[in-house]
Amino acid sequence: MPRTPPLLELRNVDKRFGGVHALKGIDFELWSGEVHALVGENGAGKSTMMKILAGVIPDYRGEMRWRGEPIRLKNPRHALELGIAMIHQELSVMPELTVAENVFLGRQPLRGRVVDWRRMFLEAEGILAELGFGGIDVRAPLADYPLGVHQLAEVARAVTSGARVIIMDEPTSALSPMETERLLALVRRLAAAGKAVVYISHFLEEVTHVADRITVLRNGERVATLEARATDKAELVRLMLGREARFFESSYVGRRRVADAHSGEPAVLEVRGLTLPRRFADVDLTLHRGEIVGLYGLIGSGHFELGETLFGLHRPSRGQVRLEGRPLAGGPGAAIAAGLAYLPPSRRQGLFLQKPVYQNVTLPWLGRIGGVVPPVRREVALTRGLADRVGLRPPDPLRAVGAFSGGNQQKVVLARWLVEPPRVFVVSEPTRGMDVGAKEEVLKILKELAEKGVAVLLISSEPETVLAVAERILVMAKGRIVEHLEDREVTKEMLVHAAAGEMQRSA
Amino acid sequence: MTEKPTQRLWAKARELAPVWTLLALIAFFAVYSDSFFTLNNFANILNQVALLAIMGTGITFVLLTAQIDLSVSYMATLAGVVAAFATAGHLPQPWPIVVALLVASALGWISGVGTAYLGIPSFMTTLAMSLIASGLSLYLTRGRILFDLPPLSKTLGSGRVLGVKWLVIVAALTLLAGHLVLRYTRFGRYVYMTGANARAAELAGVHTRRVITLVMVIAALTAGFAGVVGIGRLGSATPTAFDGMLIDAIGAVVLGGTSLFGGVGGIPQTVVGLLILGVLRNGLDQVSVNIYAKTLITGVILFAALVFNIVFAGKKES
Repeated sequence: MPRTPPLLELRNVDKRFGGVHALKGIDFELWSGEVHALVGENGAGKSTMMKILAGVIPDYRGEMRWRGEPIRLKNPRHALELGIAMIHQELSVMPELTVAENVFLGRQPLRGRVVDWRRMFLEAEGILAELGFGGIDVRAPLADYPLGVHQLAEVARAVTSGARVIIMDEPTSALSPMETERLLALVRRLAAAGKAVVYISHFLEEVTHVADRITVLRNGERVATLEARATDKAELVRLMLGREARFFESSYVGRRRVADAHSGEPAVLEVRGLTLPRRFADVDLTLHRGEIVGLYGLIGSGHFELGETLFGLHRPSRGQVRLEGRPLAGGPGAAIAAGLAYLPPSRRQGLFLQKPVYQNVTLPWLGRIGGVVPPVRREVALTRGLADRVGLRPPDPLRAVGAFSGGNQQKVVLARWLVEPPRVFVVSEPTRGMDVGAKEEVLKILKELAEKGVAVLLISSEPETVLAVAERILVMAKGRIVEHLEDREVTKEMLVHAAAGEMQRSA
Repeated sequence: MTEKPTQRLWAKARELAPVWTLLALIAFFAVYSDSFFTLNNFANILNQVALLAIMGTGITFVLLTAQIDLSVSYMATLAGVVAAFATAGHLPQPWPIVVALLVASALGWISGVGTAYLGIPSFMTTLAMSLIASGLSLYLTRGRILFDLPPLSKTLGSGRVLGVKWLVIVAALTLLAGHLVLRYTRFGRYVYMTGANARAAELAGVHTRRVITLVMVIAALTAGFAGVVGIGRLGSATPTAFDGMLIDAIGAVVLGGTSLFGGVGGIPQTVVGLLILGVLRNGLDQVSVNIYAKTLITGVILFAALVFNIVFAGKKES
């Protein structure tokens, strides 16, 4: 290690949000010219730490040092002035403006009082060429280019604004494999040019590939900082997850043996030629009793809409859905009555946050557990039992759902469908945004349901979730099912490639 | 999010903001007027807000589903006109009243279908419906005043039983019925849940469109009922009899703390809102205030109360 102090340092940084201890005495060093990856599960403290580095969170305990001098960032602008730029997961670009304008957003070169377009275009071209993207027409609207270029524009903006530290939050989560390659090359080039990059990602192969050093966070603590060359994915997974993750261990290692369809069991749900214009077309699907089928696709591939359509939220233009042989038609009410339950990809969509747990749980069943007047006492008692079963904490049926954590809110939605277990359970992104422990519990509930004979369709854009519990896996791309994976070893790469339409090349 | 006892108390105090407003107003007028704090005057206040209470019951349903009904006052006028018109046309009693209520309900149903099934905002459907109702009233009466009223309207509107005005009893019973439905029935639960999160209610299998249509029918029905007993109180039916009540009726419900965003509130809140409005109007008559400044003062105090109640209570939304 050189004797000069690190570019940026955290010393014993501690942060609480109400009762949540988000960061516990973190130490962190960042040197010029290094790519420093930050890994950890959701809720491990990555984003809190990143927000402190970028000046978004100004109040914390402990110390930050910039080139050895103690400093306290007041706000993101202050951080930018020092040279710390953050590239958010949700990009802050203006698709309607030209590529060049996006690069120079807010700092357009001027001639007198008007924008000097010639100079702006020239400089933008120069910078993009320097970053290894020479072929881009900087006069075209950014919207003409794929997401990868949007990200590039934002990186270019950070570089031109003189950033010395660039923080990237899940930069590849929405990129195709090809775009990912290019972005990783760009990150390496930034480091070679002397910038320091903080790289946050849950794609571990990327991380081991691109980073110089890797810091692992777990439950707000720094578990380790490793030389990337001296570690591997398996070690990282162990460090990230600790001992609590049974399902996710295999999925993070990225492969899973999938089984045959439960073809000995009767088919519960049969979908033939289902089509919803501009969303998906000609979808065939069979679910058997007691199996968990994963439906994986990138965001926008139509898999979430398929789930909604099965539940009767959209009227398909063509095709048929049969549940135990009987055609399924009509709205959600009809679907529920026929025994098809649905869990939407966004918890907020499915919950009444101001209302107590029991009202959230019993709403679909009011007609069955009581007459005109809902029996509140029975509702509460019923909910209390279910709260125990799903491990709701605290198990208080009278508490407003909004007062629970994300994982526990999801348990409330799950409890709703345990009142009367459905025949088919369509679940979309059941574990999004949860920490490992909560994910495990949710997936365990799905497993138990399947063991009791429920056919589960697990729709997700997170390969880990699908790989964690699915017994066979379908991959959807551009509105069509492009791959049936059964009775073989499936890796995460296979899923991602199939979903991006590159199966043939990699297989 | 952790809930501390102080936070819970604070939340409770916030929820009760309209009650504090009411108590403050009563205290104020009790000090500044000799005639205000009397049993007789309280009976007066109840009588003054009775029609608003009947209308407000239906409006409460509508607001709880996060919709609005701007046609209630015109619906009341129309129902009164229809009842009187049918009576003048010698339709046997009590059919004129039945017809009046049916006409109101039918128009409410049309607003409801337009809102729930066609997706037109209730703000617009009921605005249009207020013109239709108002137009029908004018068309039926040709602008005249009708004096042939159903006997039942006269009894309920201006009669007394055991010294108490029928009108007050009818209003109380309407509020009570509304309360029982909202608080204890499955339909009432659907109303709250639809207002709290229509999408989530739909995902739980609630027929939210049906619920919204029904609450619009209920609002029109209670408005029509207010009109039918209202003509009894006035002694005649005119083509604009109750038109001016719209702002007070919606205002009372919102003042009580029922959220315009749906899912929060109820009849108890509406009762408080009605009393705030009644005490304010009545109290200003008791203290010596420049008669030409009265409307202005009422407006300013109402605005202050709304700021206090809604901005204060609305904070929990974020």
